[in-house]
This record gives sequence, C-alpha cells and structure tokens, in this order.
Amino acid sequence: MSLHTALIKIEEEKISSEKAKKFISSEKNGAESIFIGKVRNENSGKKVIAVTYDAHDQAVIKSFQSICKNAKNKFDKNAKIFLEHAKGYAPVGEISILIAVGSGHRDEAFKICRYILEEVKHQSPIWKKEHYADGKEEWLPGHSLRPKKEI
Amino acid sequence: MEIQLKLYGSSKILSDKDTLNIQLPENSNIEKLRNILTKIISEKYSKSNLENLPKTAAFFSEKDEVVDDSYKLRNQEFISIIPPIGGG
Repeated sequence: MSLHTALIKIEEEKISSEKAKKFISSEKNGAESIFIGKVRNENSGKKVIAVTYDAHDQAVIKSFQSICKNAKNKFDKNAKIFLEHAKGYAPVGEISILIAVGSGHRDEAFKICRYILEEVKHQSPIWKKEHYADGKEEWLPGHSLRPKKEI
Repeated sequence: MEIQLKLYGSSKILSDKDTLNIQLPENSNIEKLRNILTKIISEKYSKSNLENLPKTAAFFSEKDEVVDDSYKLRNQEFISIIPPIGGG
C-alpha cells in the first residue's frame, strides 16, 4: 500500500507524525519530506484561540485520493504518500494537516508535498472558522468551486 | 416543490440544523435556487456577511459532483451548498 488519506475527528484522535513516518518508511526511499500545518495564534492582527474545520467528508476523501494519484503520476509513480486533515474544533498548536512523502529523490519528495498542499487548498471542500480571544468567531474566505464559466 | 439543502462552512449560519428545506417553483434549476437564497439572505441574514454566498457557492448533487446553473432540481432532492473552500 503506497497511499493513505483520511479526515481525522480531532476531538477524538490526534494526527500523528510518527504514524506518518512509519507509513512512508521504505528502504527504497532516498528522501522523506514531511509538511505539518498547525493552528497558529494570530491572523490579520486578531488573537486566535482555535479553529473549527468543517468538511464534506465523502468529497474530501475523493479529492485527496485524486490529488495524491495525480501527484504520483506527475512526479514519482513509486512515491509513498500519507495525507491527513483535521475536522472539528482544533485549539492553537494542533496539527491541521500532515503530508508525508517517501520518494527515491529529494526533488520529487519536496515537489509532491508542495503540490498536494496547494491542490488540497484549491480542490478539497474544507472550511475554517476562527475563534478569537474576544469571543467572536468568523468563517474565513476561500476559493470558489463554482464553474468558472458562470462567474 | 421542496429540496433539502445540506449546509457547510459559512452557510451553517442559515440554520441551527445541518439541512435547510427550501420551497421552489416546479422545474426550478440551480440558478433559481441561487435567486431564492439571495432573497432569504437579504431578508433574514443581512448582517451576517453572507451576501456574496449565493454568487460564490458551488452546489453538489447527491453524487458529490459540482452541478451547473442549468441543472434541474427534483422534488425532495438532496443538494449540498459548497461555499468557497480553504482547508490546510
């Protein structure tokens, strides 16, 4: 098995870098690249205490699979890829996304990691609501999936 | 006719539940649904920063695929509203 994708209900389970490292580990790897996205404590001058991630579960998993398969076809068919994203209430410091790639060479490992991150942001139906220290909260703007010919 | 709109992201402001039942004229399409949503938002949610939602959202059919404005809706059809996305 060379591909693992999942949405993690963050109140019940943590996203684990150890699990990711174990999954991509192989004697064939000359390079292992790991990207960890985390909830940070500030955005546009506002003090953030947590983020709630909402997701269309089935469509997210479908998009994750498609993005990772495209990445393998584009950069390295033998790459091992681990991709998990948080769903639910994630306090500051929590891992929101983890992408781990094992590949023969560093260039492919880096490129696959970056490609997956950017494609997830533009294809996967996931939404972020920030919770602020003053008690307010806000859904963040994003990328429209409406067919371009209609906009 | 009536459809069930499954709410995601910012559209969750439109109801305390996960879905919103919307009444539409017979033979309505997605474009009509956008118009009805614009009306609902301007009448009831004008202060909630949702005025662009009907224009920027995509809609998924029951097959979890984006449908365009000409897509004909069926009575009791289950449609998902997909506001602009931004994970990661």
